[in-house]
Amino acid sequence: MKRRTGLFALLVALAALAVVAAAYAKPAKQAAPVAAVRSAAVPCSKAKIAIMAPLTGDAGFLGVEQLSWAKYAITVQNKLLGTKIGLYQGDTQLDPALASTLAQRYVSDPKTMAIIGPSTSGAVVATGPTLSAAKLAAISPSATRVSLTIGGDTVGNHFYRVVPHDGIQGPSDAAYMVNKLKAKKVYIVDDQETYSTGLADTATVALKAKGVTVIRDSVSQTVTDFSSIVTKVPGDTDVVFLPWQQPPRAQIFAQQMAEQGKKAKIFGSDGTNDPGKFKFKGALVSNFAPDITGIAQDKALIAGWLKANPGDKVGSFGPPTYGATQIAMLAIKAACDAGGGKVTRAAVLAQVPKVRVKQWILGDSWGGFSATHDPVGAKFYIFEIQADGSYKLVG
Amino acid sequence: MSNLVQFLVNGLTLGSVYALVALGYSMVYGILKLLNFAHGDVYMIGAYIGFGVLTAMGGAQNPAISIWLVLVVMFVVAMVGCAGLGVAIERFAYRPLRNAPRIAPLISALGVSFFLEYSAQLLFGASHRQYDAFSFGGGALFFKGINWGPLHVPLLRIIIIVSAFALMIALMLLVNRTRIGKAMRATSYDREAASMMGIDVDRVITITFIIGSALAGAAGVMFALRADASPLMGFNAGLKGFTAAVIGGIGSIPGAMLGGLLLGLFEALTQGYLSGRWSDLFVFAILIVMMIVRPTGLLGKADIKKV
Repeated sequence: MKRRTGLFALLVALAALAVVAAAYAKPAKQAAPVAAVRSAAVPCSKAKIAIMAPLTGDAGFLGVEQLSWAKYAITVQNKLLGTKIGLYQGDTQLDPALASTLAQRYVSDPKTMAIIGPSTSGAVVATGPTLSAAKLAAISPSATRVSLTIGGDTVGNHFYRVVPHDGIQGPSDAAYMVNKLKAKKVYIVDDQETYSTGLADTATVALKAKGVTVIRDSVSQTVTDFSSIVTKVPGDTDVVFLPWQQPPRAQIFAQQMAEQGKKAKIFGSDGTNDPGKFKFKGALVSNFAPDITGIAQDKALIAGWLKANPGDKVGSFGPPTYGATQIAMLAIKAACDAGGGKVTRAAVLAQVPKVRVKQWILGDSWGGFSATHDPVGAKFYIFEIQADGSYKLVG
Repeated sequence: MSNLVQFLVNGLTLGSVYALVALGYSMVYGILKLLNFAHGDVYMIGAYIGFGVLTAMGGAQNPAISIWLVLVVMFVVAMVGCAGLGVAIERFAYRPLRNAPRIAPLISALGVSFFLEYSAQLLFGASHRQYDAFSFGGGALFFKGINWGPLHVPLLRIIIIVSAFALMIALMLLVNRTRIGKAMRATSYDREAASMMGIDVDRVITITFIIGSALAGAAGVMFALRADASPLMGFNAGLKGFTAAVIGGIGSIPGAMLGGLLLGLFEALTQGYLSGRWSDLFVFAILIVMMIVRPTGLLGKADIKKV
């Protein structure tokens, strides 16, 4: 009797495991909310924008920087446009489940007219159905996964981004490795997160197409001792590519490479871009935005931000956030003007693709979004880390 | 073959840190039968104290005194600071619950853990704090050491392994050769009887927390010298330390040491011969297997109760 009970329990457990495995075989698609939340028209003076970013946790550096630039954009643009748009700040803690909860909160608040973010691709997917059903425009300054706008996994018509996707980053980084670094063998270590594996995959395809030998490895995001992975890197490897979102870990990896006498060049993706944390001399980093301190038209803007944020340095995640916030505010303003002082989410969403900016914070002008809601003409930039930790544009 | 030796060295370095964390778990469990889930966060505080001391002394690039002295001061201050924290935790979070049902101090331990994590986040920010040990003496800690063909054992790893073993040996001597060690063993065997024999049990427990927390503080500095300090770093270390303590035999000091070293070696070999994505899976699978096959751990002893 006991044996039969035990066997039955084992069968039930195996069946449950099979169901769970089947569910994970396909990328999870969130069910759309049963009732779409409609927002009534609200007076323009009460309109709010919500930023959804990881303000705490391992990626807190990214969210905090984005928040400071979003706040700055609100101050500057409200003055220029004569608006009174307010800002909500939502901490996703790099957790898609939390992002989903935040999305529900903002959707339930009729004053929320646009979302800046979510910052990360996982959060964009998690919040997609909720925000899409509510017709709440979401303009991300940093979510770069390709499938958010292209392919079978797109999140909805509400989503836009002001930065290029990884479909551009992977081949762009691969081209640099082959053309400039003359790489013949590349070791790629992903951290199992969807951003990382996606970028690793696109880079692998691009590198193999150019006849480069690619070795793949993987490490959990909680690991910080990479010694054994470093030991495995063959001595004739030219480049080690780290498509990660945690600059401190990239720094640790680079140090552990040097510790074991490995000569391969470290190449980090845009997620490792943080001069304060990833500062290993000679390493390369790609990013979706140029260093705006070199853009003449941004001089006054930068001076104002530095004044409002004493002791801080201009990073690479902040300026696209300023741009995203600017677009959202211009869209709200246009919707307000057309709505006679009242604004709805649908009206804001309709205005977002029409926004044009003459002096775009990332250089030149903002020419609008493509049909896939990606920025027109965007590209990735390659930086080399100098001895003093600064990033020099090299490609 | 050359990779195997390097993997073993890697594992020994990692295992030394895990062993120091595991010792704290084992010692407290041995005496109080309490799983001190806040122990990993004491380790985290140790890493931050080390960072604070390093910064106060001018940082890795321009230390005010010799780098060797800086390292000693970092270790000592972190150990003393964490020892104090351990005492405070015991006094305010666990002692009042000593006679409560066993779940109560366990919940309190979890609460202390979260309290420490989020206090650290609030006080120090979410950013990782890097020791920048790479800059110490122009990279001496990373480039000098044993460089023999493909085998590289930098000075920093030697310091970590030697320091960890020295601390473990000192602990073994304390526990086996001193009066207080005898009192600790007696208290772990039977707290009530020890009290009846005139042993100040409260004092013994406090000393246990002092020693365990000091070791965690040292481990925190060792780890952060090769990595960095962050508010949530204690969670993973605590989990691994706890796993090591269980593998070795929770409550057994030699078991904790052995468990920690084995865990580090196992993790390094899995990362090396399989992939980084499998190492945590295998480590925790071993925990499950150990609980099924030998629940007392490798060196633990079953509790025999006279009826």
